[in-house]
Amino acid sequence: MGDGHGRPIARPNLREMPIIETRDLRKVFRTLVRRPGVAGTIRTLFSRDYEDKVAVEGVSMALEEGELVGYIGPNGAGKSTTIKMLTGILVPSSGLVRVAGLVPYEKRKENARNIGVVFGQRSQLYWDLPLVESFELLRAIYGIPEKRYRANLDHFIDVLAMGEFLKTPVRQLSLGQRMRGDFAAAMLHDPRVVFLDEPTIGLDVVAKEAIREFVAQVNRERGTTFILTTHDLADVERLCRRIVLIDHGTLVYDGEVEALRDRYGTHRTLVVHLAEDAPDFHVEGAELEAREGDIVRLRFDRRTISAEALIRRVADRYGVTDLSIEEPELESIIRRIYTEGYDAAPTVAPV
Amino acid sequence: MAVLPRARRSAGEILAPYVAFAAKAFSREATYRMEVFTNVGSLLVRLYLMKAVWTALYAQNAAPAGVSLHMVLTYTTIALLMSLVLEIDGTRAIRDKIREGTIATDLMKPISLPLYFFSDGIGMTLLHATLIIPALVMSLFIVRIDVPSPAVLAAFALSFVLGYLVNFTLNFLMNCVAFWTLESFAAQLMVRWISDLLGGQIVPLIFFPGVLQQIVLALPFAAVYSTPLLIYVGTIPPSGYALALAVQLGWFVVFSAIGIVVWRAAQRRVVVQGG
Repeated sequence: MGDGHGRPIARPNLREMPIIETRDLRKVFRTLVRRPGVAGTIRTLFSRDYEDKVAVEGVSMALEEGELVGYIGPNGAGKSTTIKMLTGILVPSSGLVRVAGLVPYEKRKENARNIGVVFGQRSQLYWDLPLVESFELLRAIYGIPEKRYRANLDHFIDVLAMGEFLKTPVRQLSLGQRMRGDFAAAMLHDPRVVFLDEPTIGLDVVAKEAIREFVAQVNRERGTTFILTTHDLADVERLCRRIVLIDHGTLVYDGEVEALRDRYGTHRTLVVHLAEDAPDFHVEGAELEAREGDIVRLRFDRRTISAEALIRRVADRYGVTDLSIEEPELESIIRRIYTEGYDAAPTVAPV
Repeated sequence: MAVLPRARRSAGEILAPYVAFAAKAFSREATYRMEVFTNVGSLLVRLYLMKAVWTALYAQNAAPAGVSLHMVLTYTTIALLMSLVLEIDGTRAIRDKIREGTIATDLMKPISLPLYFFSDGIGMTLLHATLIIPALVMSLFIVRIDVPSPAVLAAFALSFVLGYLVNFTLNFLMNCVAFWTLESFAAQLMVRWISDLLGGQIVPLIFFPGVLQQIVLALPFAAVYSTPLLIYVGTIPPSGYALALAVQLGWFVVFSAIGIVVWRAAQRRVVVQGG
């Protein structure tokens, strides 16, 4: 590692210390109570009424180096507050936080060398300058050795196809180009942890996929740890094995995406294309969800009947031209947790 | 590689980002060429008005003791030329960055933000300083000014640098107010007017009567414009240089210390909008 050439492809997973660790992390914002109207505004000027708003309430989690974790929650759940505490720009009200062995708010500058950040909504490139000059500035800021800088930059120019707009001022770049620039900017200094906040927001399908592929590749090849905050759950489905769900400042789920799917995604839909019309279509063990002409949608609980058994029952009785099974989307699962709560969500299907 | 014990960085490596910031600010300012030329234009207009007002005042009234019209015009002209660089406020960005929330991303970088603003300001200043010579040449068509001896000029230059530093720390403190109330613009404007008046940019402080003069000369604002200017026109004699410069240095040290305390407090309470 010290020779300045390449990083270990696979990192040992046996470190005693997780790269990111929080314990009972809590953040309370104290805000001045504002009153409406002109009279209210004047009263607010002299008022000392404060209101405590709990943004993060006792979040504990541990991430191993090289993980790619989706940090998900509805607006105002406390996601960005957590990220700000991890990046060292917000001091927790109580609890422990450690990133790569450092307490971020105590060692902001040292911590900054270990992390990279990408905000989909806010560029950290220098608006008036050509893209490449932002990179040059970052080289000076992080003191990246010339050889390392060259190698990284060439690699990113290649992978992110930035060659043609390298000399364009950032304000003239398209959103897709700017995001690619922001990704390169966040990773030039080989951070061990990268925070992605809505990195694909507003991008078209092709650009989204390019960004996702880039993240997956960097994670795979460099062992960089990523925390992905997003409302686009397709990002999570594509990239993350692990997901951390937060709501009202509290952790509601921390585990594998698959496990979440297993637990909540108990229902599947079998879509059947019938060869001939069957007005009295009926199969035991499945519920007729919808029917459009000769296409029938059957909802079934995969714990009471297997897909195979159901297909056999259908095929025994009716002529079938085509079959497909639809899995529930992560989005619908998570929506269910938000609305029903994690514990309230049934483990046994009530149907 | 960050796992390795942190290698000690050399002074050059530590300074490198700030030199880069200054260079970038210089080239960024250079792209706003129209604004730069407008500055010189407005300076010449202000200079012309100054000359008209002072000449009229002197024609109607007896000249105050020891201050000739010629001296006042020299003073005013140099003051306006100084304002070309002293009115550049690199720390104004603090306010914008807090309002737009971009201060958060800056704090995620391994740099000292006060030094960043300082070097950014230096870069801007250097670009605007290149205008001093052409502005001076054009000014000479409007007024004739005295040029003192090289020794006095050297003392003036040193005093000017100290004044620049005091000005920076004052601006920095004012802009840091934005950490507490997001709208600090009005307060800022008021302080600027007061400091322009009490700093001796518009009217030489030696025109203030008696005790008032003692007070305004003792205020920190005088360290920015008044001290270097009074050295230039000779009101502060060479025997007074040491004290005058020491007072400027003292203000710089005091405001830097306050600045450090304020900055620490500000960093602790960074609440980014939309957080």
